[in-house]
Amino acid sequence: MKLASTRALVALVLGGVLTLGAFLGTFFWAGVPDFGFVRVAGHTDSVRYQGPFEQKIDEARYLANYVGYEAEIEADGESYAGRVVEADESRVVVGTDTGDAGAPKDTIAVADITSAVVRGSEYGRPDWGQKIFYFHVPVAEISFLVFALAAFYGIRFIMTRKREFDTRARISMEVTLTFVSLTMMTGILWTRAAWGVWWEWEPRLTTYFIMTLLVIGYFVLRNAVEDEERRALYAAAFSILAFIDAPISFFITRLIPSNHPVIERGGLEPPMLVSFIVAQIGMILLGYAIYQLRMGETMLKDRIEHAKTLLER
Amino acid sequence: MASLSWRQFRAMLKKDIVMELRTKEMLMSMGLYSLLTMVVYFVALSQAGSAFDPRDIAAGLLWLAFIFTSMLGLNRSLVHEKDQGCLEALLLSPVDRPVIFFGKVTGNLIFLLAVEALTIPVFAFLFLQGETVEVSSLAFVPLVLLAGSIGIAGVGTLLATMSVNTSGKDFILAVLFIPLAYPLLLGTVTATGAAIVGGPDAMHAFWAGMAWVLGYDVIMLLASYGLYEFIVGA
Amino acid sequence: MSDTERYAPALEVRDLTRAFGVRKALDGVTIDLPERAFLSIFGPNGAGKTTLVKVLTSLLNPTSGTAKVLGLDVVNDAVEMRQRIGLISHNPLLYPDLTAEENLLFFAEMYGIEKPHVRVAELLEAVELDHRKLDLARTFSRGMLQRLSIARALLHEPEVIFLDEPYSGLDPHAMDILDGLIAQIRARHTFVMISHDLDKGLELCTHALILAKGRVVLFEPREALDVARFRETYRATVGMGVA
Repeated sequence: MKLASTRALVALVLGGVLTLGAFLGTFFWAGVPDFGFVRVAGHTDSVRYQGPFEQKIDEARYLANYVGYEAEIEADGESYAGRVVEADESRVVVGTDTGDAGAPKDTIAVADITSAVVRGSEYGRPDWGQKIFYFHVPVAEISFLVFALAAFYGIRFIMTRKREFDTRARISMEVTLTFVSLTMMTGILWTRAAWGVWWEWEPRLTTYFIMTLLVIGYFVLRNAVEDEERRALYAAAFSILAFIDAPISFFITRLIPSNHPVIERGGLEPPMLVSFIVAQIGMILLGYAIYQLRMGETMLKDRIEHAKTLLER
Repeated sequence: MASLSWRQFRAMLKKDIVMELRTKEMLMSMGLYSLLTMVVYFVALSQAGSAFDPRDIAAGLLWLAFIFTSMLGLNRSLVHEKDQGCLEALLLSPVDRPVIFFGKVTGNLIFLLAVEALTIPVFAFLFLQGETVEVSSLAFVPLVLLAGSIGIAGVGTLLATMSVNTSGKDFILAVLFIPLAYPLLLGTVTATGAAIVGGPDAMHAFWAGMAWVLGYDVIMLLASYGLYEFIVGA
Repeated sequence: MSDTERYAPALEVRDLTRAFGVRKALDGVTIDLPERAFLSIFGPNGAGKTTLVKVLTSLLNPTSGTAKVLGLDVVNDAVEMRQRIGLISHNPLLYPDLTAEENLLFFAEMYGIEKPHVRVAELLEAVELDHRKLDLARTFSRGMLQRLSIARALLHEPEVIFLDEPYSGLDPHAMDILDGLIAQIRARHTFVMISHDLDKGLELCTHALILAKGRVVLFEPREALDVARFRETYRATVGMGVA
């Protein structure tokens, strides 16, 4: 008993330190990946500078969007090269825009343009939202882990009918609920940052939503059963069913017609990878600590209960 | 022993049907409930005018009605067993627990299919008049109904056996049943939708949905069958 | 019935414990009961009487210890044992929306009785309900329901009959009828009865048992029993109150 609570405290402290370390690593060490890019005319000194770009313009009127960019235009068999000084729906002025009024400029009618290419440089747009990944993914992984643990203890309970396993299953489910809630919250924040919406009926989100409902259902069920052993049996049976149901939900969601962007994660650079792994280990330790502390508390309550019954005799 | 189990199974089924035909409690309440759902659908859709194709949402609306009516019926069917302690008498008799499970599942399945068979013409009459539907693919709808109802009856019977022993029976059943039935519903709605709308890809979508439904049926029925013994005796 | 079966004890309960966590509903219960005895179980509410009967009728499994009814283990030989026991509870355990006859026929099927119609007619006559056999059970009075419930319990000619407070909620007339029925079949059966009614229980029994907090406080044959002392013990356990 004492040993378990010591272990829990050690896990709590260690997990806390590691998680904190991972966050520090995440913000001060790991790089920020790019989320698309930004284009500018001319050169940029940005540290995220990626290089020059060249863009073929299909419809000449879109040149209006590229005022200030270097352009190469062909119109009526003639070639023009230079900076786009002015452009609107009907005409494009190309020249060296030095501010010198005398510099040579050519005015081209948009209707005459046969092809156009613009040049500039581009730099990556930092994806700060990605930072949540170091928190969100470990938390989500642990939620699956403890969910599985709850189902496992559910099976153990049904086989042995020992109250201990019911307690373990219940506390695993409690930890699941904690981590599921955290996953949901961080997930929703990320969806808003990356997709611009708070919620999307996207396969992974939908499945996770169902799983959340199952976990909540587990506790609703527990609260509604009077008899202790019956409550334990029902809860165990439901956790097993829920655990079977969750993967089916995950895979079946492919049936939902969906054309949402798939989040691709390239290989992680060492600082990112290390931060991520440290976060993962730290959170597993935290999960373990929560589980053990709750377990110790429940055991203590049971012992008091036991002492009471002994005194009554 | 096997023939005894068969006798017991038949007796359970017969008893459920006799009781139901006498009281018409489940069929009446489920039938009325599904009719009321139609009224609510009308209200819900009244503002959309003709801006949508009713065939596209028909499958979803139908299964929505089925899932809620089924919960009503499932609860009723287990309350009968629980009320006068009859379940205890059943458990005292030398009957294998799976026989009780399959007896109840089959009874519930029959009533469910009966209500569905009543609901569909009413729904078609109210919402699909004048719509062109592909008759050739429509013939597959009963297949989804059967497969989907087996899943509902299987999982639902297990969950209802639990929920009748809880405070707040109907609410508990809904909270447990709907998330568990989510994959099933998605499959049945996909398949039913494909069969109603028709078109060149209909059969492909239909069988994709059906495959999921059948897979769900097999896995969840096995799990429910395995767990029922422990639940019913608790 | 063969000789070995005849002399097999009706109940053989060894150190039976039924616990969930630290809470013990039954705590080391040991009982031996010969065949054709009548055991009355007394005890305050929450003493474990119902749990004991549930374990003996295989509705609950013991946590530890063993229990044999008619030499059959309640866990391993449950299905065989169920064929040979019956339960009359204070709950009728009948379907209100079936007629008296349909109720009995249904349970006859569950027990796999041959010629169910003959057997059911026989029993309906025995409990004097054949004139109402086509009426729904829900229209029956409490006394009639109890009689029908007795018929249900006797369908498969059980050797051991469990009675779970069968007198509760009965009017005096129905009690008399129940007494008469028990007297009729008394000689051929073993009875185990839970009762709150001390006089009634003592009047009927050959063995008396007092349970309190899951433990056997007293277990003696009726003839060896000092009634005054017995009453004293019983009162003391009730005084211990509900746990």
